[in-house]
Amino acid sequence: MSKSKQKEEVKSYNVLIVDDNEQITKMLTTFLELKEHKCTVANDGREGLAAIKENKYDVVLLDLAMPEFDGYAVIKDLEDNDLLKEHKIIVFTASTITQEELDELVNRGVTSYVLKPIDIDQLLAKIIETADS
Amino acid sequence: MLPIKHTLFLVSGVSSFIIFYMGIVNYLTSVEGVTGVILLIFSVFVATGTLLGTVYISRSITKPIEKLAQNMTEFSKHNKMTGKNQIKTNVKEIFELNENFESMGEKVETTIEVQNEYVQKLKDMDRKKLEFSSMVSHELKTPLVPILGYVQMLQKKELLGDLNEKQTEAVNEIYSSTVKLQRLVGDILTTQKLDLGKLDFNQEEIKVSELLESIIKEFTPITEEKKILLNLEMFEDVKIFSDRDRINQVFSNLIKNAIDFVTSGSGVVTIGCREDKEFVKFFVQDNGVGISDENQKEIFKKFYQIDTSTSRKRSGSGLGLAICKGIIEGLGGQIWVKSEEKVQTTFFFKIPKKPLTITAKATE
Repeated sequence: MSKSKQKEEVKSYNVLIVDDNEQITKMLTTFLELKEHKCTVANDGREGLAAIKENKYDVVLLDLAMPEFDGYAVIKDLEDNDLLKEHKIIVFTASTITQEELDELVNRGVTSYVLKPIDIDQLLAKIIETADS
Repeated sequence: MLPIKHTLFLVSGVSSFIIFYMGIVNYLTSVEGVTGVILLIFSVFVATGTLLGTVYISRSITKPIEKLAQNMTEFSKHNKMTGKNQIKTNVKEIFELNENFESMGEKVETTIEVQNEYVQKLKDMDRKKLEFSSMVSHELKTPLVPILGYVQMLQKKELLGDLNEKQTEAVNEIYSSTVKLQRLVGDILTTQKLDLGKLDFNQEEIKVSELLESIIKEFTPITEEKKILLNLEMFEDVKIFSDRDRINQVFSNLIKNAIDFVTSGSGVVTIGCREDKEFVKFFVQDNGVGISDENQKEIFKKFYQIDTSTSRKRSGSGLGLAICKGIIEGLGGQIWVKSEEKVQTTFFFKIPKKPLTITAKATE
């Protein structure tokens, strides 16, 4: 009984990480896999967009500043194809971005945002909260 | 003020009248009728001539002067030579006056152009500065993500396994330095934005009691851990129109400072507010080491850190109070400190209750 209850608490989520910084993706993968979540990594925007369109992820962590095809381009493409609201996307950025710009992204259909660098426990809480929403 | 026209007419009118009058007197008193008539006719001619001459002279002087005056008014309005009224004159002085005015106008025009170029260049420089610091901040934050992540993982033995005591200590040191670096990066960008007037402020209705209670809630775990008492002293609950996040940031900086300067076990930090006419006056008080008069003048400057012999742990970036000052002033308020060494320190800041009008913001 207690075992099944524990299993319920530690749900495993399918997380897509779209970030061009390999050290970040490696750290996040290590952490999330230790926390029993499944991680897929896309190293640029195009790869990320293709992955989002191909599979349904519980949560997508999307970096904004990436060379060539950046996070904004991914959001724009999803928006143009009416797919943005179908996915749970957390914008994960170190860019200098104003509160208004963040609010605007949320208004357009991005689920949430997290500013780098962040406490990994807070990040995990955000991922779980977003996946459960 | 008397226009030239009127003066000329007055003078010529009087002289014409005298000439004419003398002609009549001559005519009436002259014995020989013919001489009298000739003198009378002559006086009429001279008087009329004087008047006509005056009209001509008056026109050739006043017309160009009036035009010149108009040109000057136009110029002072637009800071530009319009060339609308071409001035044609035979009067040497007016001609020279106009020449001088035109060359002066051209010089002013070029000066203004050069000045505008400089203003534009300075604006571009400000923009580039901000772009640069935004970029630097992005580049610094990015590697902090894996550093912070791995350190935190190392701190959790269930994730990466047990560490011995020395390793734990080392990891904890790395962690606190990383957090400090993270804060510094954020503070530098905020300072840069404040300097360039690019920090945006919100205007929202804030219930002061809610604001203060949430701050107490946020800091209680930290003060409890350090065995410091955190009190709330509120006199009136008021509503203000201001920026909640920014006020929070100021409180957070002041409370963190206070925690650093009180003694664990006997330290007391009190936050609160009271109404002060058009303002709400907030305060953060601690019973720490205090700040000398000399230091009180300097602490709001960037990178100023009090060099205490009490070897307190200095955890800040040295930008905290400069940021507080910038934020409070940006919100239309004031910040100051009162302190008695070894007794207590109180930071006060007052914030207007009503939203800032656009004009008040523009004069900052």
